[in-house]
Amino acid sequence: MQPELTFKQGCQEGFPIFVGYFPTAMAFGLVCRDLGLRIWEAVLFSLTNFAGSGQFLAANLMGKGAILAEIFISVMLVNLRYSFMGAELSRKLAKGIGGWQRVLLAHGTTDEVFSVAVLHAQPITKQYLAGLEGTAYLGWVSGTAVGFLVGMILPSALQLAVGVTLYAMFSSLLAQEFRQKGGRVILIAGLSAVLNSILIIVCKFGVGWAFVISMLAASFIGAALTDEVQEYV
Amino acid sequence: MVPILLSALATFLVRALPYYATFLDRLPKFLSKSLKLLPIAALGPLIFPGVILDYQQNWYAGLLGILAASIFAYRKRGMIIPILLSIGVTYLALLV
Repeated sequence: MQPELTFKQGCQEGFPIFVGYFPTAMAFGLVCRDLGLRIWEAVLFSLTNFAGSGQFLAANLMGKGAILAEIFISVMLVNLRYSFMGAELSRKLAKGIGGWQRVLLAHGTTDEVFSVAVLHAQPITKQYLAGLEGTAYLGWVSGTAVGFLVGMILPSALQLAVGVTLYAMFSSLLAQEFRQKGGRVILIAGLSAVLNSILIIVCKFGVGWAFVISMLAASFIGAALTDEVQEYV
Repeated sequence: MVPILLSALATFLVRALPYYATFLDRLPKFLSKSLKLLPIAALGPLIFPGVILDYQQNWYAGLLGILAASIFAYRKRGMIIPILLSIGVTYLALLV
């Protein structure tokens, strides 16, 4: 039996996410400054939204003077993937997490948090998830403030290199899943990667739609081709 | 401020829905099987095509980085070393 997931482990696993979020959030802070927002508005954005592509989209639409309904619907669509991720994540939560704790844990769900948390075999405890989400949140919010105040501080090549952090994290997760569960992991992830690339590059889909469609299609095809998915739990 | 909070509300609604929707506990078998594969299926679009497009004319830089990370992570547990390694490899690829 594997040991229970702790707050400390959550923080440790959240650290690469912190590093990955920080420069992206700095870029967001800069975008807000260019749009003429004030610093508290930029920070409020990150505190209340905590969603990369959704925030960039909302800020862009604000800059273009879009009507509120357009902002609301577009942001919802771009973030639709969180519903599917949350469905799987909440299924694996340890028992007895209710009320406000659920609200907070739901607010902290991001692509990165989901991928790291849900690949654990044991139930996801609130302590672990609080550590993981809190660390990621800290990187996102503080990065926004720093980006707004000082702009980009790193030389551009190094900044681009640090940008590989999250991709490296996902690739490492994929490699470890592949070692444990075999070739079908690569088949399913490869399929969704190819689909997503085609939808974005060839079909010019928005990232929100492309993500949802490719993720769901690969899951369905994977489920149709696999007799028994017990081993993936 | 209103657009910011409205955007927050839109984000929160899609996030919170599955934490409160009880029908998710009794999905048809095929759907619940698909849901279990979601974590794997999500990894693909989280990496591609971003890791190529982000680097524009140096499209190979990120690819070399994640290749290094994957090989290392396949051999050994843990994630900090593969990530640092891939930052180093990507940095070198951008300098060359």
